[in-house]
Amino acid sequence: MTEELDYRKLFDEAPCGYVLLSADGVILKTNDWVANLLGYPTGEIDGKRLRDIFSMSARILFETNLAPLLKLQKNIREVTLDLKRSDGTLVPVIMGATSFPDPLGNANTIRIVFLEAGERRLYERELVSARDNAQKGLQKEMDDGQLREQFVAVLGHDLRNPLSSISAAARILSKETLSDRGRQVIGLMQGSVLRMSGLIDNVLDFARARLGGGIGLQLRVEDTLEPLINQVVQELRASSPDHDVLMSYTATRPVECDTSKIGQLVSNLVGNALSHGDKRQPIRIGAETTENGSFRLWVANGGKPIAAEAMPTLFNPFVRGQSQGYKDGLGLGLYIAHEIAKAHGGTLTATSTEQETCFLFEMPNTVG
Amino acid sequence: MSAISRNNVKVSGTGERTMLFAHGFGCDQAMWRFVAPSFNDAFKVVTMDHVGAGGSDPDAYDIGKYASLDGYADDIVEVGREMGIRNGIFVGHSVSSMIGALASIKAPELFNTLIMVGPSPRYIDDGAYVGGFGASDIEELLASFADNPLAWSASMAPAIMGNADRPELGQELTESFCRTDPRIAREFARATFTSDNRADLPKVTARTLILQCRDDIIAGEKVGEYVRDNISGSQLILLDATGHCPNLSAPDEVTKAIKEFV
Repeated sequence: MTEELDYRKLFDEAPCGYVLLSADGVILKTNDWVANLLGYPTGEIDGKRLRDIFSMSARILFETNLAPLLKLQKNIREVTLDLKRSDGTLVPVIMGATSFPDPLGNANTIRIVFLEAGERRLYERELVSARDNAQKGLQKEMDDGQLREQFVAVLGHDLRNPLSSISAAARILSKETLSDRGRQVIGLMQGSVLRMSGLIDNVLDFARARLGGGIGLQLRVEDTLEPLINQVVQELRASSPDHDVLMSYTATRPVECDTSKIGQLVSNLVGNALSHGDKRQPIRIGAETTENGSFRLWVANGGKPIAAEAMPTLFNPFVRGQSQGYKDGLGLGLYIAHEIAKAHGGTLTATSTEQETCFLFEMPNTVG
Repeated sequence: MSAISRNNVKVSGTGERTMLFAHGFGCDQAMWRFVAPSFNDAFKVVTMDHVGAGGSDPDAYDIGKYASLDGYADDIVEVGREMGIRNGIFVGHSVSSMIGALASIKAPELFNTLIMVGPSPRYIDDGAYVGGFGASDIEELLASFADNPLAWSASMAPAIMGNADRPELGQELTESFCRTDPRIAREFARATFTSDNRADLPKVTARTLILQCRDDIIAGEKVGEYVRDNISGSQLILLDATGHCPNLSAPDEVTKAIKEFV
């Protein structure tokens, strides 16, 4: 077998299509692959024009884009187009081409290679339609999500008004002369109003945080937060009077914060401790300002520690204690407390051992 | 943004009178790189990209404005006015021949001479008129943009490829020619191949030269003759060049013909 014969076979029997094209678009030579793909007897394509084996869109693409590119940059790569078979049907191919000087004249000859691309074309079409569908789906989800969150925010506002009426009515009634049973019922009512109010605050803040604006703060400098914390604790204890709470407020500097949000944070943490802590062990609340300019506030309770696997998602929204059913509400309390800490430029962290579960809020505080 | 930067206008040459070169569908101002520089010694030579092609401002693309050739002609008028062109020469390849004709009708003071390279006032056959394409041919072309999204991959702009994580690829494509966004190419194809400007030809008052190639499947010889017969006083030259892009395949012949006319 001579070398010349090898090269000839390499062309004729190559596993891809070869076309040699004159500068004015006449097919000078093709190999068997092209003839087989297009359904012509071997050699019958030679002498035809390139346009004779191109689909209409391929002809226009070639004349307006590919031919100029071959003049300007001498090669084109990875173009996909349709060839036309002898029976008129189309077959997708990938095409590459280079233009090189013709040894006989000035005009360049063009070498073209074709690979079949039917499966690839189907796949591309699927990708394009999958992308279109995904974009449509995403847009719908975003619209729905926006609507849901707006709904929650509006609902929160609408729930507050009747709740204020109930609260005011209970306050007026509590000043009347009541039976023991009446006073007890009013106390329960006021506890329920408080819980409801806390839930609404959390839901609204959740909606605000998710609507993208984040929790807005109205910062003020307070000499001490002790009365605020005491008030929150008292309100909450009304519904669990037998659970002891020990308070140690040792902060010596004023604190710059949004007091209503800090009240909400304390309420959420103490509420959490009342729900999950061992009733026989007191809840310990502490607050301090430090020399290096930070404010620290912690709420700790005894009892069963938080499971290690629950720790990473502790501050995620809608995460509830495992065995508690709906007793804890929506599971927004710790998430909102965490968001309030973040909004203050601070952190909320949790540690939990057999001895104690402690939530620590720490934020920079340079006033005073 | 000014029309000059929107259309990536490039100016060279030392002459007084302006020659504005505009490219056709499928490429950009690189189309003129073997012809335009030959006029630098006698003219102020201006080349530009239509919006959606080459280095034009992609944000300027407006699907409504560019749905017809009028939108492109308005851009030519804006460029001409911003540059203070008067009695200039407009050289348009392919569809830009008609865009230039429309611009010269809208603002006759800009160009008193039109050079049309491979013009066609209508690509689709219509009764006795032979445009060279059947309506189904153009439907097939327009459908192919959706059916075969990578057909234009040889000249896709870098942003289209979404290769922010492959900067070396972006660099390579930045230097490529005839960049086009396939979605814009589809709309430009629609505006081009469904256009019918036959009624505008008699309104052209500029001195007009038509350069016609042999064996041009986009704009055949009959179409060139039609343009000559409908623009009064126009001259048609049948080049020896074949195909649709003599400005690249036979630049010397094109340059010579234009020089003799102007």
